[in-house]
Amino acid sequence: MSGGVTPDMPRRGRHRDGFPESALEKRGLKIQTGAPVTGAVAAGEAVAVATGDGTVRFFRDERAPSVTRAHDGAVLCLAADADHVLTGGDDGRFLRISPDGQIEEIAEFGSRWVDCVAAGHGQRACSSGRFVHVWRKGATSAASLEHVSTVGGIAFDAKGRRLAAAHYGGATVWTRGERRWKPSKLVWKGSHGAVSFSPDGKYLVTSMQENALHGWRLRDKGHMAMEGYPAKIKSFAWAGDTPHLVTSGADEAICWPFDGKDGPMGRTPLCVAHGGKRLATCVQSLSEENAVFAGFQDGAVLLAELDEARESIVVRGSTGAEVTAIATTRSLSHILVGDAKGGVLWAALRTGDAHARNV
Amino acid sequence: MDQPAQVPVTVLTGFLGAGKTTLLNRILTERHGKRYAVIVNEFGEEGIDNDLVVDADEEVFEMNNGCICCTVRGDLIRILSGLMKRGDQFDAIIVETTGLADPAPVAQTFFVDQDVADRTRLDAIVTVADAVHLDAQLGEHHEAEEQVAFADVVLLNKTDLVEAKGLERIEGRIRKINPYAKIIRTARCAAPLDEVVGLNAFSLDRVLEAEPDFLTSDHDHDHDDDVTSVSFVSETPLDLDRFQKWFGQLLQRRGQDILRSKGILDFSGHDDRYVFQGVHMLMDGSPMGPWPEGKPRVSRVVFIGRDLESMGLKEGFEGCRAA
Repeated sequence: MSGGVTPDMPRRGRHRDGFPESALEKRGLKIQTGAPVTGAVAAGEAVAVATGDGTVRFFRDERAPSVTRAHDGAVLCLAADADHVLTGGDDGRFLRISPDGQIEEIAEFGSRWVDCVAAGHGQRACSSGRFVHVWRKGATSAASLEHVSTVGGIAFDAKGRRLAAAHYGGATVWTRGERRWKPSKLVWKGSHGAVSFSPDGKYLVTSMQENALHGWRLRDKGHMAMEGYPAKIKSFAWAGDTPHLVTSGADEAICWPFDGKDGPMGRTPLCVAHGGKRLATCVQSLSEENAVFAGFQDGAVLLAELDEARESIVVRGSTGAEVTAIATTRSLSHILVGDAKGGVLWAALRTGDAHARNV
Repeated sequence: MDQPAQVPVTVLTGFLGAGKTTLLNRILTERHGKRYAVIVNEFGEEGIDNDLVVDADEEVFEMNNGCICCTVRGDLIRILSGLMKRGDQFDAIIVETTGLADPAPVAQTFFVDQDVADRTRLDAIVTVADAVHLDAQLGEHHEAEEQVAFADVVLLNKTDLVEAKGLERIEGRIRKINPYAKIIRTARCAAPLDEVVGLNAFSLDRVLEAEPDFLTSDHDHDHDDDVTSVSFVSETPLDLDRFQKWFGQLLQRRGQDILRSKGILDFSGHDDRYVFQGVHMLMDGSPMGPWPEGKPRVSRVVFIGRDLESMGLKEGFEGCRAA
């Protein structure tokens, strides 16, 4: 089974030179961190943002952000752990950082990079090379799970009972037992990167080295190939009630429906937030709304409903710096946008902005 | 939208003991005023410890890239994109490969991965060869031949341990495999670093500079499995469609045996020179401006590979001439 992005779908507003500065942007806080933004996550009522110089900043309310020098080198990965964050760096350290800048070193791997981190229900995991190390809630020692190649992505399911690791040749789903984690292998040719369980835990999706996503229906390991993208898919997120898997890698947000028995198979994805000729590089859901943010190569960020008939609205204009991170606070009070040149936009979302259906 | 500059990447190959580590240590410790990151392999020689050194695993992945299957270095994609995230950028990146590695997947990574190609560029493949042992290694390991065949520069090291006559012979052997590589004789890898790093050898411009070598057509070669090279010229303009058909099919069918290919082409009805270079089945080409005034418009192609005699290259190339 396979789906595909139809190349001749109707396009809106294709010819443009870029989007103008938005009202939200004008009233927001703009800072230059000096190093590429490598990730951003909601951590309670704050948003934590990581950069390539090893720094983690917590943005909260209208205050200036707290700045923590965490890694000696780039922060490669970031995940929320309650109101704290977990980070991995190219200095080989796996850290837990509190909103007030307290650093706890969970593990250290020397010259090996910490490529991926994940948290779920008090459990903490990181990957370094072919190994995923996972700490159970309250545990001081980790279980080390080995894979066939360097791990490209890790993720817990919503209940924290399963941990997925993507690698060359497919993914491994580890189920937590009394004493040990039990592996189940999902096979698909190629190299797999970022990985995510669907919110209902029925599907697992990976982004691939090729310009494609791969999905498995976990019940029977049925395959779902989502192909036809013009570029690698660097970012994806689950959004809306259906839910939809929202993906970057095309000149708009490609949204695959994951309801019904077969998920997106044999169906056409929704295409929203058309960005002109620019490719989407980062997507994020507007949680509890049927809406998504899409960030583009030229720095623009659009907000769109999961409805092709509705126009998208401009959250950030075209700044010229590729969008690398988008996150909102849990209560949707604020949005943070980070880019490849180290620019960060932090702004309050007003009702009109936050709820696309009210626009 | 302005693009960030591409960081040049030098690939350093060579058998164990040839002197790669000596060269890497020089790159890391000499006061050259440049900032280099060095990616070393897990099973490399010892003696390198530096903040700018990254450990890699040499994970060779198969990629299904349309109808062409090719191999890339998955770890390199990961590490290069990681290095590009750093706030402090590098002047260059050096990738060391293990002694027994095939250089092709490293080179192919730069053709295939868009992120790698956007932010970095393959600068040159530099092969460190041990003047004492290369002769024996070429006979015993096909990897040694491949490393010489892929090289833009061969650093012929330990020349202080070999007599002049022996050096002539080993250089002759290198030339037979790869007449286009620049050979630098050194003892203890003491070559100036600017002859090793920052060469821009994979730029299509450089294909044009290699013109003098192109003119020596039809090298002698034995009919065996060794890596050899051949080149052809045509003073008659070529037909674009015929060339594309022939060359496309050639790379599809025999790309595994063609290690490197380069060419400057004069297509009938086109004013610009067309320049290309390829690694196995992958190739990169584009028009490169008008022909120099007063010089003849001559098409030239060169192939380095195995079993080239069986490919009907001469007939194929001549068949591309515009009627």
